[in-house]
This record gives sequence, structure tokens and C-alpha cells, in this order.
Amino acid sequence: MPKASPSFDYGTCMACRACVDACPFSCLEDRKTGLERYNKAFPEMARPEKCTGCGLCAAACPVDAIAMLPSPAPGA
Amino acid sequence: MKGYTGKILLVDLGTGESEVQAVDDAVYENLLSGVGLGAWYLYRNIPAGADPLGPDNILGFTSGLLTGTGSVMTGRWMAVCKSPLTGGWGDSNCGGSLAPAIKHCGFDAIFFRGISPRPVYAYVDNKGVQLRDASACWGLDAVESEERLVAECWAAKKPAVAAIGPAAERLSLISGISNDLGRYAARSGVGAVMGSKRLKALVLAGTKAIRGEDPEAVKNLSKAYSRTMRLVNMPAFLKGAVLPLMGAALGAVKVAYSLDGMVSAMMFKRWGTAMNSTYGMTNGDAPLKNWGGSNADYSFKYYHHLNPDRVLARESRKYHCYSCVLGCGGVCDIKDLGKGEYAHTHKPEYETIMAFGGLMMNKNLDSIFYINELMNRAGFDTISAAGAVAFAIECYENGILSKEDTGGLELRWGDSEAIIALLRMMIAREGLGDLLADGVKRAAERIGKGSERYAVHVGGQELPMHDPKIDPMLGVTYAADPTPGRHTTSGGLYYSTSFLWTRVSWLPRFKIHPKAEDYEPSERGALENVAMTSFKMLIDGAGACYYAMLTGVPHFRIFEYLNAATGWTKSPDEYMEIGKRIQTLRQLFGIKQGYDPRKVRIHDRAAGRPPLKDGHNKGLFLRTEEMIPYYWKAWGWDEASGIPTEATLRGLGLDELLAEEAVHA
Ligand code: SF4
Ligand code: SF4
Ligand code: SF4
Repeated sequence: MPKASPSFDYGTCMACRACVDACPFSCLEDRKTGLERYNKAFPEMARPEKCTGCGLCAAACPVDAIAMLPSPAPGA
Repeated sequence: MKGYTGKILLVDLGTGESEVQAVDDAVYENLLSGVGLGAWYLYRNIPAGADPLGPDNILGFTSGLLTGTGSVMTGRWMAVCKSPLTGGWGDSNCGGSLAPAIKHCGFDAIFFRGISPRPVYAYVDNKGVQLRDASACWGLDAVESEERLVAECWAAKKPAVAAIGPAAERLSLISGISNDLGRYAARSGVGAVMGSKRLKALVLAGTKAIRGEDPEAVKNLSKAYSRTMRLVNMPAFLKGAVLPLMGAALGAVKVAYSLDGMVSAMMFKRWGTAMNSTYGMTNGDAPLKNWGGSNADYSFKYYHHLNPDRVLARESRKYHCYSCVLGCGGVCDIKDLGKGEYAHTHKPEYETIMAFGGLMMNKNLDSIFYINELMNRAGFDTISAAGAVAFAIECYENGILSKEDTGGLELRWGDSEAIIALLRMMIAREGLGDLLADGVKRAAERIGKGSERYAVHVGGQELPMHDPKIDPMLGVTYAADPTPGRHTTSGGLYYSTSFLWTRVSWLPRFKIHPKAEDYEPSERGALENVAMTSFKMLIDGAGACYYAMLTGVPHFRIFEYLNAATGWTKSPDEYMEIGKRIQTLRQLFGIKQGYDPRKVRIHDRAAGRPPLKDGHNKGLFLRTEEMIPYYWKAWGWDEASGIPTEATLRGLGLDELLAEEAVHA
């Protein structure tokens, strides 16, 4: 389990999928729909077991909509 | 890092050898990346007179300078080559996911020369390139190929794939290159060049970091742009049905004015480019009935068939190219169409809707959705394929083609079943379909019998769905751009939303003026065209989207973006000089290859010769041939021949840049 994992602020996120592309392990997918009127597809964690907590997704976000938060303890 | 990687990958498909080359900073400082870098490499490395489908042609995949630096709407890549359609400069722009993937492999561009002895795909990751056997993919459509290669090559990171379909394998000159399951680099015949090299696909799986000089400054620009983009929304009560009325009202205005470019973003956010499918009919933009008809033929009572709200009814979610904050695309459900063979298709673009709708008098929107996927999988440029079908219908209606020629098909305006049947013949290159698969110019040459008057193209390239009779600057671009018949380079409408005159010292302030003035050949018009085109070259060098360009420089702050990403301190004027340099190099490429700009003429129907007798564009005609000398002169090209003068080449520093010393291996 990595120390931190990405958390998305969907109020700021523009659904641009730059984070999806930036992840070296393709942990993220743009597939979360139904959040707003246009039915855009927002990113979410799809493969948590691959996430290393590297933060590259957060660094790539053009609008800083990703915070790297401490991962919940195993089993939490 | 200054946003670019400073490296290009060169692959010889004939020998299987590859090489990484470092590119001097001076190249980026003078030409940016993307189309500029591509033109620089191709000009110096494709011998004059090269066969576009032979081993000497080079196919390049270029990324953008801003791609991946924290900028938004900068995920566009380009395919560049000598065009087999026009014999001159060829390029085609595309979104999707390929642009950052090129840079994640550590390169700004990847160039292929030679012809592989057998079908291959190129797999590139952090370690370099491998040419792998593609015999299992050869013959598959572009979407199946991508799905298969992603499954086959997905190790750590999901790879980005550019692939061709059967149309390009069969060297159709109107074929393109797909990525992201059907986003297309469609124009200039780039697919045929890839097919001729037996390169089925490019698979990119690199994970190298991309960084600009000042990421914070880049992100601040992105945040400001995104805030505005979030705020502009069409009021919910404005339904698609009002668009024809809006088009009619704005089309009736007799003065040219400038509008804030975010208005277009607002419409694209809701409908995508489909917003123009009825709006464009009433303002004179749409060419109807193979450019021979008007909105009097495709009358008001049919508009509800192509209402963009009906397009949205199939959209299950939006689609964004990499780093896009607008999202004009969509994923549409089409499981109920045809034999149910396709579950989804990308939302058809306006070009496709109008080309397979109004251009051939087709009112069946479902057929357009189906055709969209059929074409995306086969790998055809929908604009050109539709141009070929409309040409064939008009030949048939006028007795130039008989039922014997068509293999028994009754080719009538608006018959969607016959249209689909003919497209299948084009994919398989059977009978008449074989002729049409190389575009209307070549088809008319082979059919003869006066058919050329129905072959609507400029310089071999079929015309897009924008009638220049309402935009004379667009007419000049159709005829005189190094990629003729291109609607995304320049035009009066784009200029009016660019607000370039607020940043560029040599441009006169935009004044509201009678539209009639724009039909007169003038130095002002030529200068504005040069400015708009130069701006577009910057957009294509940066990897930015044309819909970001349309929002104008007050919003999409490209000059500031480029300075923040590179650490340069260039002024807007200096950047515009870069745009001029790129465009001059594109022109120079064509000249070197024997492309004679004087011989390229706008098609009579597009120019209004004779003028239409009814509809919005009734009586309108263009004086494009008189405008072109002004345009060439404004670039510093010879006004009689279109050849860039020695003084201009020296002034732009192109003489030095094109010398070999600029590269150190
Ligand atoms: S933290 Fe790293 S590994 Fe985890 S999702 Fe983001 S980029 Fe991927
Ligand atoms: S990069 Fe940022 S804005 Fe773009 S999709 Fe990811 S979280 Fe959203
Ligand atoms: S506006 Fe449309 S074409 Fe442009 S980058 Fe966004 S999704 Fe792609």
C-alpha cells in the first residue's frame, strides 16, 4: 500500500484526462460520469493495487485538482 | 526542460535501422515543434520529385511544444509527409492520446522512411523502437487493430496507438490515420503514405517525464482559461431547433464584426461541431447537393432531421482529447443500427454530418452515424469519401455513369442505402469504388465525359463543408495554402474572433465594416490572412487545438504559454514571425517538390462561377484569383509565382536553418 494516493476535487477537475495519461501504470481511468450536465467522464482510481503514490498524476494536472492524501490503513 | 525533448527518432522501414538524433535549440526557437519541426525535417530529407508512395517519402508523427507541460487543449499531434493527393506539402492534425505519448517516449517527433518488406508495427518505449510483425493485424479495421495492439502490448502503461485501416492498406489516396478508436488525421492522404510503407501501426508505451521551464506559470494560465471555460454555458432553454433561426439571422447581417471567441466554445461544449449542422445551412456555410444546390433544395422542412439535439440523443458521454477542457467530442451508442455490428462511434463531426447529409441530400441521420463508424474503421477521410460519393451521384443523375458502371446501383440523391453500398465498394476497391477510392480528381480523369465539373476539389483535395462564398479569405486559403482545400488554416470568421490585432503591432485594429469590402482584393485582407495563418502555424507548432485558437488570444494566451513553457521572452510579434517562417517553409517544400501554386485553382462551384440562383448564397461570387497575388506578396513571396523570394528566406533566417549544420547527430 503506497503512503499516499490521489484524491480528486471534481468541482475543479475539467475532465481533461491529463492525469490518466501521466500515470506510468495506468491506474486511473476517465469513466466516472453523471457528475454534471454535460455528462463528461471524470478520472477515478481504477487499479489501486498498481498505485505507487508517486504523485505524477497530481503534478500533471493543469488545474491542481488532485491532492495526494495519505492512504487509508489496510482494511480500513 | 523547455517543454520539448530536443530529440527525434528516425526509423528506416526498409533496412529496419533506427537512429536518435538531437535537434538544435535553434530549430525550436525558429520553428517550434509540431508542424514546424516536421516541415524542417522533411524539407531537408525528402529528395525533390520523390514518389509520395515510394521509399523516399517520409512520414512523420509530431507532438506539440506545449503538449504535456501543464497547458490545456494542447494534445494535438500531426502526421506530416509529401502528399500523394496534391504532390506538395501534406499534413493532418489530430487529437486523441498520441501527442503526449510521443513525448513520453522521449521524442518530439518520429519519422519513418523506406518501405518495409512485410507488414509491421513500430513499438516504441523508453528503450527505443522495435519493428514487430503485423501480419495478424493486416486486414483488420483501424479500431480492431488498436484494440488488439493495446491488449498485446500493455505491460505497465496502456500504450497509445495510431493505426490504419484497410483503405490505407489498399493505398486509397483519401485515407487517414486513426488513434483513440477513430479520431482521425484524415487529410492530405496521410493514410496512403503509411499504407505504402506497410506500417500498420505505431504503438507508444514510454513513461518519460515532460516538463516545461516554469510549470507554475503554465498552470496559472491553464487555471485562468479553465475558469472561463467552466463559466460559458448555453442557456438550457436554447434548444437545437433554434439554431437555423440564429444562422439565418446572423447570416443576414451585412457587416463584418468581431465576437468574443468563447461564444463558439459555449456551443461546442454542448453539441460539439454538430452545432453547425443546421446553423450552417441557413447562414450559407454548408455546401449542398455537391455544391450545386442551396438551402432552397435542402429546405427548412428537413432541418429537424439533422438537429444537433438529435445527435446528442445518442451521446452516452463526452469525449475529450488529451488535456482538453472543452470536450467537443462524444461517445455515441449505435448498437441498434445496421446489423448491430458496432456498439459505439465517436460523435460524428459537423464535417461528416454535412458531407453525408446535405452534400448528398441525405436526411437519414441514423445512416450518418452508421457511416461514421464504417468510415472510421475502414480508414477513410469522411470529407473526401463523401465528396467522391456526391460526385458519383451527380454523374449518375446526369447520365455520365450508368447502372452498368455502378455495378447495378441506382445512385440517387439522398438514398442512404445506395450511399452505404457504394462506400462498401470503395473500401473493397471494387468496380466504380476502385476509381472513387483515390478521390474525385483522379476519378474524373478516368471517367472523362465532362465529369470534372462535378469533381469538387482544389489541387486534388476534396473541399470541406464550408462555402467560401460567405468568407472570401477562406477562398484564398482553399486555393493558395500549401495544403489546398483546407478549412482549418485561416478565414475571415476565425480572424474576427482571434483578437490578434490587440497583441500584434503590425495589424490594424479590427473595425466593423461592410461585408462587401471583404470581397475586394486588398492589402488589408491579405495581411489579415497572413496573420491568421501565422497564428494557426503557432497553434500547430504548440500542439494546440483549433477550437482553442477560435477562442482568441485574450483567452487562449498562447504567447504567454510558450514563454512560460520554454523560458523564452519572445514578444507576440516575434512569435508571429515564427508562424510566418513555418508557413513559408511549407510553401517552400511544395515548390521543391514541383508543386506549382499557379496551377491550383479554386473550383468554379466554390467560387460561384456561375453564381447560385437561389438560397442564402444567391448571386455571390469570389475574385480569388485577383486576391492571391496580394496574399503572396503579403508573405514576401513572388506575387506572380507564389515562390518565396530570396530576401524573404534570408529575412526569416530560413537559408541558415535549412543548411545541414543545424543538426548535430
Ligand atoms: S500516484 Fe502515481 S501511480 Fe498512483 S495514480 Fe498517480 S501517477 Fe499513478
Ligand atoms: S488532470 Fe486534473 S483536471 Fe484533468 S482530468 Fe485529471 S484531475 Fe481532472
Ligand atoms: S475541443 Fe474537441 S477537438 Fe479540440 S482538443 Fe477538445 S475534444 Fe479535441
